[in-house]
Amino acid sequence: MIEHLSAEQISQWMMGERTPQLLQHVTGCARCGAELQQLETALTQFRTAMREPPYSPAYPIVPPAWREPDSSSPWYSWPRLVLAIAALFILVALPLSWRARVREQAAQTALADSQLLESVDSAISQAVPEPMEPLVSLVSWNSSSTDQNRKAPGQ
Amino acid sequence: MAAAVASSHELDDFEAVVRLHWLKVFRFAMASVRDRHAAETLAQDCFFRAYRARGSFRGEASVSTWLMQIAVNLVRDHARDRRLQFWKRARLTAVDVTTAGRWLPDAGASPEVAALMKEQVQAVWDATATLSERQRTVFLLRFVEDMDLLEIAAATGLKEGTVKVHLFRALQAVRERIGGAK
Repeated sequence: MIEHLSAEQISQWMMGERTPQLLQHVTGCARCGAELQQLETALTQFRTAMREPPYSPAYPIVPPAWREPDSSSPWYSWPRLVLAIAALFILVALPLSWRARVREQAAQTALADSQLLESVDSAISQAVPEPMEPLVSLVSWNSSSTDQNRKAPGQ
Repeated sequence: MAAAVASSHELDDFEAVVRLHWLKVFRFAMASVRDRHAAETLAQDCFFRAYRARGSFRGEASVSTWLMQIAVNLVRDHARDRRLQFWKRARLTAVDVTTAGRWLPDAGASPEVAALMKEQVQAVWDATATLSERQRTVFLLRFVEDMDLLEIAAATGLKEGTVKVHLFRALQAVRERIGGAK
């Protein structure tokens, strides 16, 4: 019984590693010869098809015109300059606006604090609490008449 | 050293480099991503990157292999990006796989033979669609671009033995498609 080529040997043949033993077998074995012939033909046709693909006559494969990237353009070209200015503006403006806001908040707090302190001062400087003020007008603050009234019962 | 100097000079006229190698890079990208617009973008990107990196080219490989190395990386990145995309925009411009057989010029063959050839080209084209990205890359470099194993290893960054393994798997898939594998 004839041993035909294994998958590894066929692969070896197709990769171009054609040893004398392989060559001898292929020339003597019609079945293996036919199989290799079929595979080679298919791959050759595939190569031909891939190398000459008529994708579209109206859209042929041509290399695009090569235009060298302009590496000599100055670092301050317009787009770069605009970007740099924008970045600088953000870097400077953001901390400044943040500081201004902090300062404004501090001023508002100081104002509110002083108003609170003033109201507290005025509150504690009153002799009589505000709700009791109407009673004050009813009371006579003449101390001598009061003393006389106090002495009368004991005399 | 002389070869390296010659290769460096080869890159001086970059327009000529583009003219000479454009089709090869485009063809590889096209067969890999199966999308004409994506292939054109990849090819342009390949040459743009090559232009920017031309100063680091030492001539250890040929310009062609060097360009294919860049193209292989771009195709791999493209495949990775596409996996991340959940929409398939590429389908809009994707090559209709049913037309692959029609790419083959008849060259005076009888209708029966021409039909059989186109059928086989279609089978190989279909088989490459089922391969992994690496297997397809190695297969296309070997059987479309005619690169030898060492050149493929240089372009893909794989060891020669690994290239052989990928080629073996790819050939198996092709043989199964065209009815050769038992």
